[in-house]
Amino acid sequence: MYMLQAVDVYKKFQRLEVLKGISLQVRKGEVIAIIGPSGSGKSTFLRCLNRLETIDSGLIEIEGEIMVKNGPDGKALYSPEAEIAMMRRKMGMVFQDFNLFPHKSVLQNLMLAPMLVKNTETSEAEQIARTLLDKVGLGFKADNYPFELSGGQQQRVAIARALAMNPEIMCFDEPTSALDPEFTGEVLNVMKDLAMENMTMLVVTHEIGFAREVAHRVIFMDEGLIVEQGKAEAVLLNPQHERTKAFLSKVLMAR
Amino acid sequence: MDYVLSLLPAMLEGTGVTLKLFFYTLVMSLPIGVVMALARITKFKPLNILMQLYIWVFRGTPLLLQLFFIYYGLAQVGIKFDRFTAAIIAFVLNYSAYLAEIYRSGIQSIDRGQYEAADVLGLTRLQTMTKIILPQMFKRVLPPISNEVINLVKDTALIYVIGISELLRVTKTSAVRDFSFVPWIVAAIFYLVMNGTVQQFFKWLEQRFNYYR
Repeated sequence: MYMLQAVDVYKKFQRLEVLKGISLQVRKGEVIAIIGPSGSGKSTFLRCLNRLETIDSGLIEIEGEIMVKNGPDGKALYSPEAEIAMMRRKMGMVFQDFNLFPHKSVLQNLMLAPMLVKNTETSEAEQIARTLLDKVGLGFKADNYPFELSGGQQQRVAIARALAMNPEIMCFDEPTSALDPEFTGEVLNVMKDLAMENMTMLVVTHEIGFAREVAHRVIFMDEGLIVEQGKAEAVLLNPQHERTKAFLSKVLMAR
Repeated sequence: MDYVLSLLPAMLEGTGVTLKLFFYTLVMSLPIGVVMALARITKFKPLNILMQLYIWVFRGTPLLLQLFFIYYGLAQVGIKFDRFTAAIIAFVLNYSAYLAEIYRSGIQSIDRGQYEAADVLGLTRLQTMTKIILPQMFKRVLPPISNEVINLVKDTALIYVIGISELLRVTKTSAVRDFSFVPWIVAAIFYLVMNGTVQQFFKWLEQRFNYYR
């Protein structure tokens, strides 16, 4: 059974077709990097997987449970809200802009969801939060507020916040794109550590180096389609498709 | 000086009435405004449209007209309130409409990412509103709310038209009776003190919310 499976996912924004039949199977413990030019639909695809966006047609399964499938009319038919809520609990999400709660301290940011959603006891939630903050190297910032942290620190808190819900899959939507270059390293290191612990990860990224080093599989998307995919080395060092080559030469040129 | 002192008992009593209306209006319209703002942005169309209509009517007509209507107008169809109740109803209805619009703009100024973060963490809509959105909204709307509160202090003077002896009416009585301008000045000082207090209070409140950005 796949950890996550998407089959033939289509998505339109008004007239604009963003996803034109995307399929992806993710095994437990797999780290997948999704790369591609902006506007290729990679972020939208990631957002569809945990229903931040709804799809028009296709199938999405989380650990064999159906989140959405095609109805008799061929259009996407979502499972009941309560079931979807349980599935979404298995997925953590890290955003480009961190989206920490500015009115809550770092510690409270981590404790909030476990307490509200899982009814975790305060003391237990705090213990989990402190452990995770130590893990991302920010134990000493527990009582600070997000605005007092650097971008890199905020993103590490955001990762810890997602982990506090004990997810089975972590989705990263361009986690380093909003950061000054000096801070990307610390965030990527936290993500590497996660990968080492066999976390299942889906990472939409422009960090080719990270993809090569950490991802088991790299997926290149362009214009709403998966153009090429395979082992990181293969796709990144020896791309077969013209569009992949063009994209990679542009990205690598820029550095 | 003796003359000023002789004015004070009546004026303080008038101020008491003014303050009573002020506090009743605030205590009710501040929370009602929140509920109205949420109704105003709900996706449930009928409620949404009803709220737009309500806000249009109560912001689009003079408070004075609303006051007359509730006290005199409704009395003619048999709905009678005592003067002070009529005043409170008019003020609460009117101020709730203004506050609702301020809250609404505050809610809508919160970044979409906050909703999404709450959503992926599994918070319900209600939890998202009460724990994430509204607390941040209150901080943002403090400056426009303080404007409204200062307006409210001054608007209380309007209720003299339905014969309530609040500060301004008492002042006018004395000024006309004694043929003196002094009561006007004393009244002005009263209003300034009240609004000075309001300003200081909001300054303090804004500082208290300064622990985050």
